Amino acid sequence: MSKVESHSLGAKLKGSGPRWALPRLRPALWQGLASFVVAAILWEFLARVVVDNPLFFTSLTDIAIRGVELWKSGELQTHIWVSFIEFAGGYFLAAIFGILGGICMAASKTARGFFDPWVSMLYATPILALGPLFILWMGIGVASKIAVIFLVSVFPILINTLVGLTTTDRILLDVARSLGATPQQIYMKVRMPAALPYIIAGLRLSVARALVGVVVAELFGARAGLGFLILMSAQSFDTAAMFVGVIALAVAGVGSVAALKWVEEKMAPWRFENVDD
Amino acid sequence: MTEAETSSPPKLSIRGLSKSFRKGEQTIEALRDLSVDIRKGEFVGIVGASGCGKTTMLRLIDGLTEPTSGTVLVDGKPLERPGEQLAFVFQQDGLLPWRTVMANTMFGPELQGQNKAQSISTAQRFLRLVGLTQFPRHFPHELSGGMRQRVNLARALTVGADILLMDEPFAALDAQTREIMQAELLRIWTDTRKTVLLVTHQIEEAVFLSDRVLVFTTRPGRLKDEVVIDLPRPRDLSIKRTTAFTRYTDYIWRAIEEEVRRSIDAELEQA
Repeated sequence: MSKVESHSLGAKLKGSGPRWALPRLRPALWQGLASFVVAAILWEFLARVVVDNPLFFTSLTDIAIRGVELWKSGELQTHIWVSFIEFAGGYFLAAIFGILGGICMAASKTARGFFDPWVSMLYATPILALGPLFILWMGIGVASKIAVIFLVSVFPILINTLVGLTTTDRILLDVARSLGATPQQIYMKVRMPAALPYIIAGLRLSVARALVGVVVAELFGARAGLGFLILMSAQSFDTAAMFVGVIALAVAGVGSVAALKWVEEKMAPWRFENVDD
Repeated sequence: MTEAETSSPPKLSIRGLSKSFRKGEQTIEALRDLSVDIRKGEFVGIVGASGCGKTTMLRLIDGLTEPTSGTVLVDGKPLERPGEQLAFVFQQDGLLPWRTVMANTMFGPELQGQNKAQSISTAQRFLRLVGLTQFPRHFPHELSGGMRQRVNLARALTVGADILLMDEPFAALDAQTREIMQAELLRIWTDTRKTVLLVTHQIEEAVFLSDRVLVFTTRPGRLKDEVVIDLPRPRDLSIKRTTAFTRYTDYIWRAIEEEVRRSIDAELEQA
């Protein structure tokens, strides 16, 4: 072992820390927290002193109180549960069909040529605009919501899977072939693992779209759910309850995106080298 | 050379190897009618201006690219699929980023269907040979360039092939690390008695390592000159400061200088 090399390695390892530990609180995170606190104080001040009209702008404390009320009556849980079922159903189907579709399109040029125009077209189409049509077809229950959520979130997953599988670094394929790998081995041991970070990134992109899908689909007509809560509260001038719905959705969105981001970083730490520094 | 050595077939025999690529309308002739024989255990360096088909030649020998014409014989027999008799050390380390050092080194034996215990012991043997035993559980992105190239070399050696094809393996390393790796490579070559074909841009690297240096012409790549390096072995880095050594590098430089100029002119013409 040369001195030069071991030195540079030592320096590198010290900097990166243990590989599988929970992330430490970085300065950026403290700054983020501070920014939230400032925003909360500002919100409270605006609501109580400047606007002083709970119909237009409700203070955070009033929202919290309304939230507790809704929780105690069991109403909030029902809405969260219904929205969750819609989200989970649509998103789960999107993940399965997105990944399988991506694999099929990556495997066959014919399939790619045949489906690519549809994928590109539907990905760019604002499918949410078709919400009323789905409600017409499938009723105001959970099924129509699952269909809408599926359609808005399937394409980022499919496209990322396809891109991940078809853009494998050439040198890695050469190495595997030179070591005598069969086409099946190249697929399972090189292409697939190389595509995994892309697939997870696709899943992360789709979470945000799926959540928008939940709200908008419910706005078109529903019996329960967070989007329904928002719509009903707004129509009955219950601004605090409306904010309860919005905040619940925001928490769900931020939480699931952060969770997938974390999985992504753990599964492909080499892709986040520069972000860490 | 004894009579037995001359009568047995050469380890690696390249006969009339040619390769043309289509690039849009144009056909680019990368390699033209190359024939060369390499003895068992010989260390052969290949130098030439950039774009002289050196890398193409290695890829053709390994079977990664199909030749337009010509054959490659190993021990007098045509080559079977890649991986069996030849090992390739690429210029970029090509380590799988999701695998640890150990798992990367085990990749070859694993592909050949060895069980896990066998693969681990094979990998350990060659990691020890390249002097890299302390970091089996590190990931490639945590290693320096020199260490990654050691893993790359260990991985190629695990296949157990007699012939090692090396495509500018140290080009991406800094000057000091490169010198150390050259000396390490000589040590490993002495230990394993492999037959080595090493492509390099660096004339002094070729002279330091090789028994024989092949000088290629610019596109289409052909054999321009062949220089037997009659320097004593074992060699260490101090040999680079002897007059005999510089006489070889000067001679080879003169042989390729004209080719380098032609290649620069050709590039300017294209631009």
